[in-house]
Parts: sequence; structure tokens; C-alpha cells
Amino acid sequence: MPEVFTSILSTLLAGAVTAAQVAVGAALIALVLGLALALLTVFTRVALVRLAIGVYVEWMRNVPALAHLFVIYFGLASVGLRLSPKGAAILGLGLVGAAILCDVFAAGMRALHVGQREAALAVGLSPGQSLRCIVLPQMLRLTLPAVGNYASQLIKDTSIASAIAAPEIMFYARNLVTSTFQTPLIYATAILLYASIVFPVSWAFNIAERRLGVGR
Amino acid sequence: MNAFFHVYRDYLPEWWPRLMEAARVTAELSSLGFALALVLAALLVAMVRSRYAPLKHFANAFIQFVRAVPLLALLLALYFGLPSFGITLSGYWAGVVGLGLQGAAYVAEVLRGGLNSVHRGQREAALAAGLPPYKVFTNIVLPQAMRVMLPPLLNCYVSLLKDSSLCALIATDELMLTARAMSSEYFLPLHIFVLVGLFYFAIAFPLSMFSRLLAKRLSRGRRALGVA
Repeated sequence: MPEVFTSILSTLLAGAVTAAQVAVGAALIALVLGLALALLTVFTRVALVRLAIGVYVEWMRNVPALAHLFVIYFGLASVGLRLSPKGAAILGLGLVGAAILCDVFAAGMRALHVGQREAALAVGLSPGQSLRCIVLPQMLRLTLPAVGNYASQLIKDTSIASAIAAPEIMFYARNLVTSTFQTPLIYATAILLYASIVFPVSWAFNIAERRLGVGR
Repeated sequence: MNAFFHVYRDYLPEWWPRLMEAARVTAELSSLGFALALVLAALLVAMVRSRYAPLKHFANAFIQFVRAVPLLALLLALYFGLPSFGITLSGYWAGVVGLGLQGAAYVAEVLRGGLNSVHRGQREAALAAGLPPYKVFTNIVLPQAMRVMLPPLLNCYVSLLKDSSLCALIATDELMLTARAMSSEYFLPLHIFVLVGLFYFAIAFPLSMFSRLLAKRLSRGRRALGVA
């Protein structure tokens, strides 16, 4: 029994490495693209840009991630754009995350008093400086809880990548089942493995929130 | 670009009835899951608010734990793991149970937040005025909690609707599995998966908009408290 368990755990841990790569890659896309879209939608005067971003965000947020992954992995391959399962998972989850974080960041910036920016400009900061030194830090502090929720959601969502055969935790779990038939043990281990990744991440965000005095 | 849409013109009559039938299964699956989630969540919140410490701790631990586990792991465990213990569920019912369990943890947080948002003075005043406790709950506390709970509850339903797509991986003939089958029949994955995305969008988007509208309406006159 212990040997069986350790062999299951070591196989699933190999999947956890892929899961972590997918999560980090997707998070990077989501943070950069999400922030860019949020800045654009908050500060642009062109209604068409706001509309386009709105359509993107609503499409991404109201369609299951699995459908996005299938469009990117199977759909794009059929028109000649072939991505690896892992690449498709990173791109798909990253694009979904960008929509989520765009909403979060835009709401965070709108929640700041307009006087913050006006005062920054009045004391002689350039628009870029006022954004970088005054608006963004406060916005990030304000949105930290929502970003934390997104982070744990993202870690859990990497499991969906198994549907396009990215070799992450659930993919290995299903393979192990067909080779060892230790079904309940394997899935219980997988569940505990996810929980032991998600809990520390959400604790880290909780600690950061307390340190930064979020919600004061 | 034109050729892309011509495919839909040619195939839509064949695809439409199959996808409509699958959409019905998806709607049913997520609604049953949500109903189960509501019942379980009400139970969990009652436990969290009880004076009996073990119940309270169990409910809190359950909520925290389920929130840290991916739905897919839960579904596969229910569908493939339970038969080892002599309980065999069809993909459909494993889906309902999985969605119900996962949803319960999120709905419980919404219910708890909603009930906590009602100032305790409301309850105390109603009791002092002589209302029986159950009426205090149904006539005083619940209606005020509802305005905080309703929009996020709708969002929970939308999440569940999207999450029901994972039931495709445990052999439930809902939208996603039907789309997969069709894509290997017609070799038009891009068209089919975009179309199935539109099916989800057509249900989820109006609900999301309605939830946002509701949040704006219901929070009128209580601007101090944001809606989660």
C-alpha cells in the first residue's frame, strides 16, 4: 500500500509541474493583457474601443473555458495553426484570465477617487508617473482579494487542460487508473494534491492582504 | 471569410436540432445541480451559524476544502471512483452531484454574506416586538438579505452552467460532448466549437447582464455597502 501510494504521488507530482507551468504562463498573459485592456477601457475616449473590449470580455467570461480550449486546440489546428496541448492551454486560460482581470482592474481603477489622479497631475507628475506611482499601486492593493480568487481559480482550471491531453495532474490520474485500477486512491490523491497547492496560494494572498491593510 | 459563414448556411439545419437537444440537457443538468447546491448550502449555513462547535467547524472545513478542489477531479472521483464502493452513478447524475457539491460551497458563502449583511438590530427589534423567531427570519431578515444575495446567486448559476461543460468528460450527452462528437463527424471543429460557444453565451450572457442590473437596482439607497 505505501509503495503504491508513493508511486501514484510521484506520477501525479510530475503532472503538477506541467500544471504549474500552465498556471504561471496563463497568469502572465492574463496580468499583462488584463491590465492593458483595463487601462485602455478606462482611459480611452473612443467608444468603439470600449465596445470591442466589452465584447471580448463578455465572450470570454460567458463561455466555458473548455469551449475556448477546444476552439484554440482543435479549431485553430483545422485552419493550419497547430499548437501543443500545453501551449493551447496556456493561451486559452491566459485569454480567459485577461478578461477576468480586465474587469477586476477596471473596477479597481474606477473605485479610486478621481482626485487621486488630479492631485498627482497638479503637483507636477507626468500622466505616466501619476499612473505608475499613484493610481496603479492603490488599484493593485484594492483588487488583491479578487486577484487572489482568480489565482486559486486558475490553478483549479489547469485541470481542464487534461481534456486536450496536456500532461498535467488529471491527465496522469486518468492514465494511472487505466494501468493500475487503484481508482479511489488515485483520485483522492489528486484531490489532496490540488488542495495542497491551492491552500498555500490563497493563504499567501490572505497574508499579503493583511500586510497591505486591504479593506481598511 | 465568406466561405467561413457559408459552412453555417449549409450545415446549420443539420446541426441545430442536435445542439438544441444538447442545450436542453445542459440547462437541465446545471439547474438540477444548482437546486442541489441551494439545498446543501442552506444546510451548510445553518451548520455554520449553529451554536454547536463541531458542526460549525465541519461545515467551515467542508466549504474551504471543496473550494480548493477542481470540479473535474470531483466529477471523475464520483463517476469512476464511487463504483469501487458499490455506488454507481450515471454520468448525468454524477454531474448533478458534483455540480451540487461544488456549487454548495460557493452558494453557502453567498448566503452567509447575505445574512451577515443584515444588521443584528433588525432581528433583535423584531424579536422584541414579539414576532415568533421563524417569522423574524422569513419576514424580516431574509427579505433584506435577498437584495444582497440575489445578484451573486445568479452569478453562481452562470458559473455552474459553464462548469457543466466538464460533464462531457464523464460521458454526459450535453453541449460539449455533442459538439465533440459532431466535430469528429464533420471535421469542422472551428465552426462547431464557436457555435457551441454561442449556445452557452446565449444563456449565460443575459443572466450575467440581469445580475448586474439587479445589483444596481437592489443596492439603491444602501450605497455604503457594496454588493459582492
